[in-house]
Amino acid sequence: MRALNRRLKDLAAEGAEITVTNPGARHNTGVGIFHPCKINIEGSVGYYSASMIDGPEITIHGNAGWALGENMMSGKIVLTKDAGASVASTIRGGEVFVGGNVGARAGISMKGGALIVKGNSGFLTGFMMQKGRIIVCGDAGEAVGDSMYEGEIYVAGNVGSLGNDAVVEDASEDELLDVWATLERYGIAERPTFTKIVSGKKLYHMDSLERLEKAAI
Amino acid sequence: MVTDRSQVWSPWTIDDIHAKAELGRYRIRGFSTFQKVTHFDDLTFLSTGLTRFPLEGYKEKCNTRTVLGALNAENPLVIETPIYITGMSYGALSANAKTALGKAATMVGTASCTGDGGMLQAERAASEKLIYQVLPSRYGFNPHHLAQAQAVEIVVGQGAKPGTGGMLMGVKVLDEIAEMRDLPTGIDQRSPARHPDWLGPDDLAVKIEQLREATDWSVPIHVKLGACRVTDDVKLAAKAGADGIVIDSMVAGTGASAEVLLDHSGIPTVPAIVMAREALRELGLYRKVSLIASGGIRSGADAAKALALGADAVAIGIAALIALNCNKEIPESDFMSEVGVPAGSCHHCHTGKCPVGITTQDPELMKRLDPDEGAERVANFINSMTMEMALLTRSLGKGDVHSLEPEDLAALTIEASAMAQIPLVGTNKVFGT
Ligand SMILES: Cc1cc2nc3c(=O)[nH]c(=O)nc-3n(C[C@H](O)[C@H](O)[C@H](O)COP(=O)(O)O)c2cc1C
Ligand code: SF4
Repeated sequence: MRALNRRLKDLAAEGAEITVTNPGARHNTGVGIFHPCKINIEGSVGYYSASMIDGPEITIHGNAGWALGENMMSGKIVLTKDAGASVASTIRGGEVFVGGNVGARAGISMKGGALIVKGNSGFLTGFMMQKGRIIVCGDAGEAVGDSMYEGEIYVAGNVGSLGNDAVVEDASEDELLDVWATLERYGIAERPTFTKIVSGKKLYHMDSLERLEKAAI
Repeated sequence: MVTDRSQVWSPWTIDDIHAKAELGRYRIRGFSTFQKVTHFDDLTFLSTGLTRFPLEGYKEKCNTRTVLGALNAENPLVIETPIYITGMSYGALSANAKTALGKAATMVGTASCTGDGGMLQAERAASEKLIYQVLPSRYGFNPHHLAQAQAVEIVVGQGAKPGTGGMLMGVKVLDEIAEMRDLPTGIDQRSPARHPDWLGPDDLAVKIEQLREATDWSVPIHVKLGACRVTDDVKLAAKAGADGIVIDSMVAGTGASAEVLLDHSGIPTVPAIVMAREALRELGLYRKVSLIASGGIRSGADAAKALALGADAVAIGIAALIALNCNKEIPESDFMSEVGVPAGSCHHCHTGKCPVGITTQDPELMKRLDPDEGAERVANFINSMTMEMALLTRSLGKGDVHSLEPEDLAALTIEASAMAQIPLVGTNKVFGT
């Protein structure tokens, strides 16, 4: 893995177009690539693939393990099949598109960017999400948007349940047009209606303050 | 009558109930636990006499250089003293405090560490050896900053609040801090307790590999644990591939924590070091995986005792803040009117009203701390600690602080004997064995 990542970094620095064959579902494929480039991975990858990247466009023809694209700063990841738990966790920018389903905690602690899931998402989608956008074209599991701060989650199918302090808000016409345009970029022509989930903002503050804390504020 | 008031319902207990009756939630404070626990004062060194001879205390060479995380890293962390400055967040601390700590670390050839909320550029510029924390919140986490680090520290837990995440009251989450953390301005930030992308030790092993890949295997990856089930946690962290383990005890300082966790969870530093040492020894990894102890290290004596018990280095938090003037009345401050207690009793870091400009984001208060003068004081303090360690070490007839060992110590109390696995003074007995 060390040799592969080293080579990917070197080739990326030249802005090359790279193809990885036989990735062997190994963990940590394509970590920490900081240059714009195109990488095609022909097969499934393990945990933390395409994570901590800034700039590249990575297409993976297969499945991915946990934490695909974790802490991406910018760039694009396209996964043709399913992703495990914590897909796009903590990303601060860029886009992650998953052609299949994703596991639990999709988009957990997202700080920007977008996660688009063609299929279903699991338990705790958008948990503690801070910013950015999650679009789920299928169903989302239990506790969607639990303790989220900001950002929006759009679910076309069934919402298992809302998480703590998550509320449903009407999506505006412009927002829907924008979501549909995003889907179109990934070849999804249908224009489903979405349930839009945002923060109820009830967890922003402690319910009460001590005398001194009050004085401080 | 034995005393004039109930020993069960002390004035503090009564006040605590009054406060909670008004508040309707758990209380929060900064600083450290108020519990009295077995600590380094309960141990003493057995210096030389006729059975062995000392080195010249004030002169002969005594090595304090310390190498951490050499197991897998191409460039281990090499520091000139086994004392470094622990991770304290920019947010809990002012920019001036962070900068001063970074400068002080560089002045004495040691390291400083980032904290929750990401890296402050001024600290990076000031600190030649900067440890970059990977916390559950990942606030401000930036792989470019990671790539610049001299060591990486995955925070699983903190001694002052094991089992919970960081906390920063809204009064300190001002625009710049909020932006760095991608949070709405002014919220009472309660950070996640679990990492977003891994849960158990098997996943941690993959996470450690990821961080190695992101840093080209060049720098050590440490794991910081709040000291609770130390034996199991240390073994799991070591097996997951950590190059170093930071064991942070219940005595450890904090910028803000729920009081119930500060006072009622975790174990003290002394047994934590011993348990961690034995856990590593069982795996054959003692002195291979570095062991760093933190929690209530106040002096060279404490640090020397920590090393004698088995640590390779210690990290200091509150002690460095005190060197910066924490709890000291200065011309610009008035503790009584500003925080309602005299200097010496302040533990109000969470309010953002720090009278000496350390744990505040208020630009006016922050001016009370000059980063250059502060750095000088912290550097002096670390140098004093290092000299104290060397003096003790020489008095034991040794020329390297890393040669200190449990046999150099005796316990002053039965509890310390049992916890440190060291004979009680005046006996040959190690209690609890
Ligand atoms: C003001 C302050 C802020 C802190 N912020 C962090 C933090 O961001 N991340 C962390 O792992 N520990 C944090 N800690 C805990 C320290 O890293 C360390 O565990 C503790 O201070 C060690 O104990 P000592 O203060 O008794 O030396 C903080 C401590 C203080 C006093
Ligand atoms: S003086 Fe400042 S740093 Fe020290 S305890 Fe008080 S608020 Fe905290």
